[in-house]
Amino acid sequence: MSSVNQRLGIVAAVWLTVTGSAESVNYMKEIKPILSTACYQCHSATQQKHNLRVDTATSILKGGDHGPAIVRGKSDESLLIKAVQGVAKDLSRMPFKKAPLDEEKIALLKRWIDEGAKAPADEKPDAVLHWSFVPPPSTVAVPAVKNKKWVRNPIDNFILARLEKQKIKPAKEADKITLIRRLYLDLIGLPPKISDVDTFVNDHRADAYERLVEQLLSNPHYGERQARHWLDAAHYADSNGFSVDAPRQIWKYRDWVINAFNKDLPFDEFTIEQIAGDLLPKATTEQRVATGFYRNTMINQEGGIDKEQFRIESVLDRVNTTGTTWLGLTIGCSQCHDHKFDPLMQKEYYQLFAFLNNQDEPDLELLSNEEKQEIETAKKHMQEAEIALNIYIKNTHDEIVKWEKALTAEQTAKLKLKVQQSLVIPAGKRSFKEKLLLVDQIRKEDETYKHERAKLARAEAKNREADSTMVLQERKEARESFLFIKGDFTRHGDRVSPGFPKIVQQQMPASATPAAGTNLTRLDLAKWLVEPENPLTARVTVNRIWMHCFGKGLVETDNDFGTQGSAPTHPALLDWLAREFTNQKWSVKQMHRLIVMSATYRQSSDARRELKDVDPYNKLFARQNRFRLEAEVVRDSELTASGLLTEKIGGPSVFPPIPDGVMKLGQMNREWNVSPGDDKYRRGMYTFFYRATPPPALVVFDAPDSSTVCTRRLRSNTPLQSLTLLNEQSFVELAQGLASRVLSEAPKEGKARLDYAFRLCLSRHPEKSERERLATLLDAEKRNFAAAPTEAKALAPKELIKEADVKEFAAWTTISRVLLNLDETISRE
Amino acid sequence: MSHFLNNPNHTGGLEDVTRRHFFSKCALGLGGIALASLLSDNKLSAAQQGVKLVNPFEPKQPHFGPKVKNVIYLFMAGGPSQLELFDYKPDLVKYNGQPIPKSYIEGKRFAFMDTFVKDPPKLLGTRRKFAQHGQSGAHVSEMFPYTAGIVDDISILKTCATDVFNHAPAKLFMNTGSSQFGRPSMGAWVTYGIGSECQNLPGFVVLQSGPRGPRGGAMNWTSGFLPTTYQGVPLRGQGEPILNLSNPKGVTAQRQRDTIDAIRDLNLKRLVATGDEEIRTRISAYEMAYRMQTSAPDLIDLSDESQATLDLYGIKEGEGSFARNCLLARRLVERGSRFVQLYHTNWDSHGGPGEDLEKSFEKICKEVDQGQAALVKDLKQRGLLEDTLVVWGGEFGRTPMGENRESTGRNHHIDTFTMWFAGGGVKAGQVVGETDEFGFSPVTDRCHVHDIHATILHLLGLEHTKLTFRFQGRDFRLTDVHGEVIKKLLS
Repeated sequence: MSSVNQRLGIVAAVWLTVTGSAESVNYMKEIKPILSTACYQCHSATQQKHNLRVDTATSILKGGDHGPAIVRGKSDESLLIKAVQGVAKDLSRMPFKKAPLDEEKIALLKRWIDEGAKAPADEKPDAVLHWSFVPPPSTVAVPAVKNKKWVRNPIDNFILARLEKQKIKPAKEADKITLIRRLYLDLIGLPPKISDVDTFVNDHRADAYERLVEQLLSNPHYGERQARHWLDAAHYADSNGFSVDAPRQIWKYRDWVINAFNKDLPFDEFTIEQIAGDLLPKATTEQRVATGFYRNTMINQEGGIDKEQFRIESVLDRVNTTGTTWLGLTIGCSQCHDHKFDPLMQKEYYQLFAFLNNQDEPDLELLSNEEKQEIETAKKHMQEAEIALNIYIKNTHDEIVKWEKALTAEQTAKLKLKVQQSLVIPAGKRSFKEKLLLVDQIRKEDETYKHERAKLARAEAKNREADSTMVLQERKEARESFLFIKGDFTRHGDRVSPGFPKIVQQQMPASATPAAGTNLTRLDLAKWLVEPENPLTARVTVNRIWMHCFGKGLVETDNDFGTQGSAPTHPALLDWLAREFTNQKWSVKQMHRLIVMSATYRQSSDARRELKDVDPYNKLFARQNRFRLEAEVVRDSELTASGLLTEKIGGPSVFPPIPDGVMKLGQMNREWNVSPGDDKYRRGMYTFFYRATPPPALVVFDAPDSSTVCTRRLRSNTPLQSLTLLNEQSFVELAQGLASRVLSEAPKEGKARLDYAFRLCLSRHPEKSERERLATLLDAEKRNFAAAPTEAKALAPKELIKEADVKEFAAWTTISRVLLNLDETISRE
Repeated sequence: MSHFLNNPNHTGGLEDVTRRHFFSKCALGLGGIALASLLSDNKLSAAQQGVKLVNPFEPKQPHFGPKVKNVIYLFMAGGPSQLELFDYKPDLVKYNGQPIPKSYIEGKRFAFMDTFVKDPPKLLGTRRKFAQHGQSGAHVSEMFPYTAGIVDDISILKTCATDVFNHAPAKLFMNTGSSQFGRPSMGAWVTYGIGSECQNLPGFVVLQSGPRGPRGGAMNWTSGFLPTTYQGVPLRGQGEPILNLSNPKGVTAQRQRDTIDAIRDLNLKRLVATGDEEIRTRISAYEMAYRMQTSAPDLIDLSDESQATLDLYGIKEGEGSFARNCLLARRLVERGSRFVQLYHTNWDSHGGPGEDLEKSFEKICKEVDQGQAALVKDLKQRGLLEDTLVVWGGEFGRTPMGENRESTGRNHHIDTFTMWFAGGGVKAGQVVGETDEFGFSPVTDRCHVHDIHATILHLLGLEHTKLTFRFQGRDFRLTDVHGEVIKKLLS
């Protein structure tokens, strides 16, 4: 606890030594330290509660809303003393909600006042505005370095300059296989194929690496990979959440994000379209789809709720999401009270709220005229067929009764399951479809009947609910917005109009910050966020791009750039990158290009024992970082290794196999009909995400629950992850796929097969001892399975075996399971 | 071993607080693993890399001497009616059918508000008979004959209060101290705080019974912003008890062992090559997974329980039920699992079909009564009750006013409702808190959800203001900025 107490302790110790003498109090040495520890947080440059600052003697004399804080020579009449003693009328004891100042300090303050509150005339406030609220300088000097040869671009100057200062050498460059694997995983979220690795390793051109980067930046999977990070912030999911958790249709928004990254939509436009696409002049359908960003809030469909309450909760969520995503601030704290640490007033929170409180939340129909026509025709055909078939049902009634009576148990057993099920239902209660199933049995030869039946089937296949997506639409009549006292929407405080937090905009040019007022819209909010002089947006965004390339940001608390967040490890680099970002017209691809081409990025990630004490957390970036892949990428990597991955991009979410019983954990027990064909093997980001019963294999690897904004995932390491990779049926299938692939693709000779399997999973060749370890297991397994053929059969599905023999296949499945479970397989090094 | 609760060195690197910290600092020797052959082509000697495994649930010291080690939380999902069970209100019977005086409900919000607005709500007296039981003379209705038999072992708290009146948010509130999503649940906080004594099973286990899962699903046992290690693990009623616990077809226990051995050896090699300590944790996770595979089936196999025990709980063979879950809860705490939570649905007695205060209510009372009483008795006779806290309650209670649907039921009520507590550190055989003549509001001892959380943590030896986790720039607690230990509950 308390670093504050410790600091006080230190101050007290200093004071004791100083006050040993009888000289008059030294303001600079004795008073300022007390004030800075106890008062500056709320009363200095960053914020001025009650318009009081106490970071200069002049400002103390001037005072704030309650008048002068001190009266020269009269400590008894000084408000400052009364406040710290807790005897001031209408004021809480200061420091507010912290330990009181001890008697000695109060005595010292009194003595200073009584001696005339002397202070240097030229005293300047020493605490400047918190760094993140000052826009980055328009040009940032790139530091010089000694080892110029190492530098590939200016990023390296910043990193190396710091390392050289501490006499640390950067790590060696990672080997080419590690590099290609790293680039693939970071940029497109898939591991390279063996042929990709070989091509790169054998490409000896000087710019082979740069060519590879360009190739990956234009690979359509790039959009998928980068979109997934963004979808965490948007908290995209395919259901409404809460208890009912009904499915929703908003995948068009997900596809919009993928497409935006692929075409490198500049981040400012990317922002504007998502926050206010509908308000752009002549908004296109695409721009309206983009406003789905804010529709990823949950919807409570429980009975008996107050709908307005949950609408407001969605708006509050949007305010918080905006704060975290663009500003990197924990503005959610100000929902109920002025922010404790950052200079964000509760009123300002509700000014942001007012921007986002004025829209309807419709579904946008997305069909072309032809598609609409097709559906209408289908509906008409369905009706026609139904009329015709109903006549058949009527006319065959007696015949069916007779047929049913005559059925023997043996005959019944031979019927299709669905027909049997229809028979169980009493005749009067059968549905249209169930009746038809029975008519089918006795009108097999009737061509007219068959024609109508086929017509119905065709029409049903074409009839679908119109594709739609959830969007925002501005209301004509603005809603009134109020401050909610203590965050409680039933307790209205003052009325508020849209406006921007003062602390963020105070250093921005006046032209970029329209005055608060009711005529401001979401579009103004969006433009303000991506105004190049906004001190936060560019920094926050480049920091996250960096984070995804190094496993952590230059500011480690990527979602808290406020006073309680961690300071940037390389502030000048962060500023330089932020300026580069806006100078490069907010091109995300350009930032990726810059970062991954740096020598800093290309370093090996191996731990450096010699730096264990100097830099245990690798804050200096004297190496790359090694970390586990995200949930979806774990799946995608293993799908790639097994050769089963379906590379299709976009479209409705899919239903790969999940363990039995998972859907029973929610209130509604929803259906999960496994997608047919290739859709079983789509990338993890396309798995249908029910918020109340999320896919276990994703959640176990820390996929966020999609309830609130998430900009940085945790990376846990648990036994349940082990059980998933070892035993979950879908991963066992991948092991079988890998075995099948190795047996059909690799040369038959044992060593070559092992190497091939190893490289499919890890890209690199095994070392001798690794190969030997696997070979030992393979031999043992061949013997084991020879002795236990039923086990072999159970592990080797018939349809996959082809020409290989069962025990061989089973033994390779064991090897595949080992490889797909290795830490390295699910890590990016 | 430095205790990470006392040392959230937030600026030292987020990884530190999120996972690596306690994993690596709680290194648990499980015996070095011989690797001579694997290490032959590597620079490091076997001695240098001396392999030690780590246990993700390593027990940790609480803040002060704990009264109990484990918690069994019986969550009555849907909000059971205290007025039919514990809170005896003769006046409510006397004034049955009278409109409730306006002063009670002015300015209040309720679920299904429209029904109350249309038709001023009328008081509803219970038709259940109450009697006083045990030394303590606590009132329990005829609906809970078995529970009436344990009143001298429990502490009944009649004046619990919550903030939210819809099911999903209220369940979240009861579990996480917030109706907003994203906060960790009680079980997650507790295992984050003090780990678990069980080496072979998860520290936080969730069991379910009744016609459906609780509203909000996995959100109720979420780890929120804490690492997923602390998430509740559902123990399933059907099929394999823990997801993916069974080996794939064709994989025998020996084959699984051989597979994990090979994974371990290759992982170790990578650990040596890269120096990434996270690989050590991965190796340990596989060991724990393997142990869970043998321990969990053993856990749910009740064949070693005597017929007398099965009869005590009222367990019928081959039947998934609340009673069976109660026995499983005992078996879990016996094995050292830290936090066991049982959900039973559906207590939502609005008066609609399946939710009436007549047959449906009788049925659900019967479903839980014998099992919950047996649990307390069984724990007591085995000497486990002194180390275990048993908590019983829903996310809110029911209104003294009737709600008219197909039959007359009761609406959600947040102002006062009943919970009970038993176990070490809890004063047995008492009733705490008095409600007004209609059971609408507390007259004494109002205890808010945050106070209940503070008390549960207190009994586990955790100071609720000190059990914190830094997230998005703020130290979060289970009790937010509230909560006072309910002294009257303590012995």
